[in-house]
Amino acid sequence: MNHVDIRVAPHEPWYKYGVAVLLFEIAVAIAVSAYSLYMTFNGLGGFPGKH
Amino acid sequence: MHKVEQLGIATVGFFWCFLMWFSTAAFSPSIAATYHLTIKDLGLLASSAMWMAPVGRIVAGWASDRFGAPRTFAAILAACGLVSIASAFTTSYELLFAERVVVAIAGVSFVVGVQHVAQWFDAHEIGTAEGLYAGTGNVGAGVGALLLPRIFGTDYRSAFLWLGMIALVVAAWYLWRGSAAKTMERRDAVRCGGDLRGMVFVWTRYIAIALMLAYAMSFGLEIALNAWLPGYFARGFHDEILALGFTDVAGIQIAAGTFAAVASFNASLFRPFAGFMSDLFQRKGWTPLPLIAKELPYAPRLHWLGIALILITLSMIGLTVAWLYGFLPLSIAVLVALGIFVSFGTGGTFALVPLLFPDRPGIAAGFIGGISTVGGIAYPLIFASVNAHVGYLYVALYMFAPFILFYFWAARYERHPQEHGLLGRALAGQRS
Repeated sequence: MNHVDIRVAPHEPWYKYGVAVLLFEIAVAIAVSAYSLYMTFNGLGGFPGKH
Repeated sequence: MHKVEQLGIATVGFFWCFLMWFSTAAFSPSIAATYHLTIKDLGLLASSAMWMAPVGRIVAGWASDRFGAPRTFAAILAACGLVSIASAFTTSYELLFAERVVVAIAGVSFVVGVQHVAQWFDAHEIGTAEGLYAGTGNVGAGVGALLLPRIFGTDYRSAFLWLGMIALVVAAWYLWRGSAAKTMERRDAVRCGGDLRGMVFVWTRYIAIALMLAYAMSFGLEIALNAWLPGYFARGFHDEILALGFTDVAGIQIAAGTFAAVASFNASLFRPFAGFMSDLFQRKGWTPLPLIAKELPYAPRLHWLGIALILITLSMIGLTVAWLYGFLPLSIAVLVALGIFVSFGTGGTFALVPLLFPDRPGIAAGFIGGISTVGGIAYPLIFASVNAHVGYLYVALYMFAPFILFYFWAARYERHPQEHGLLGRALAGQRS
């Protein structure tokens, strides 16, 4: 495994798509959490699939 | 072959293994109705999913170093798939229970994929790659809970049959397209390190023990909270949940289950971000914590994990403090933060493991990922032995604080922390 020049190693093309996927996953986490908590705190139900 | 294809194969394989691992839980009401199970039987069935994890992950990690990740992963998928298919035709509950325990072995595949990804990605991108693999794969558990009952209804037999058959297809794909390492040199180095001496060497390193405890603080806590939180909120915040409008037992279960699910969901889906942050710390050279090494090639990653462990501990204390105020929304806010910090710990740990043990990534992942699951059993016992609200504070002060101190101590070496351990290098294995 390459231990040198880590701080200057350029990112490969796949990396930006990887970051896009992780940002999408964060967006899903925030959206599902916000929706589920909104439903629960308003007495309407809960986590999707457990209504 | 391209490394992104290898990452994709490993992620799909792990996703499917997670789906099979938790499919029993998704259909436990149907199974309970078919076989007239008691609450005690259901508890046993639920806990059986974790029985094989500690030992199974250790063996799987070693096997991936020795035989290569594609063969090991395909063997796990095929074996679990075949038993899943068999369980679809079983009419005896005792046999079904035994078969589902075997299918739950699918969960040990985590360490095999970690080893596979580590064999293909370089040091500067390993955090994001491992995070994408583990975080996306973990979603299989949530997808199983959400989609399987919707697709198959109460027909768990069809679900087990299809899950098993698709597992065989994924196993064939893994064997066909999977490649053990980016280069033959890397593959040979790992194969040679995958012997008993290599295992003794890894198990006795202070830094490996520190990472194992770090993973017990994060993933171990995550699986403990999955089991513990629904009951905690149902009992500890009973009146507050009633005030929200959930008046019967089913409604309280829904509300309490939602709070637990949100924490778990965030712990999975923020994990790739945690790996990305480890890469970012590395790239920027951030080393803000005292005592921890600053000159090691991967020192910033050690600091990122240290920060994650401190945040986990503080948010555990915060859970107890939130109860003192008796304000449910504050408890949930702390819980959401805890879920995210747990992901920082899991993602931060496995951004380091392949770098610390480049010649034994599978053995190291097996040790760290396997033993740490014991936390999933230990923490709920501690929570249950004291006042439920104060249990978080107890675990934070009497377990997590010493774990963090040990981590800081083990990560202080500026050169080759792997050389320091319970046994000398000659006794524990000749190479680092």
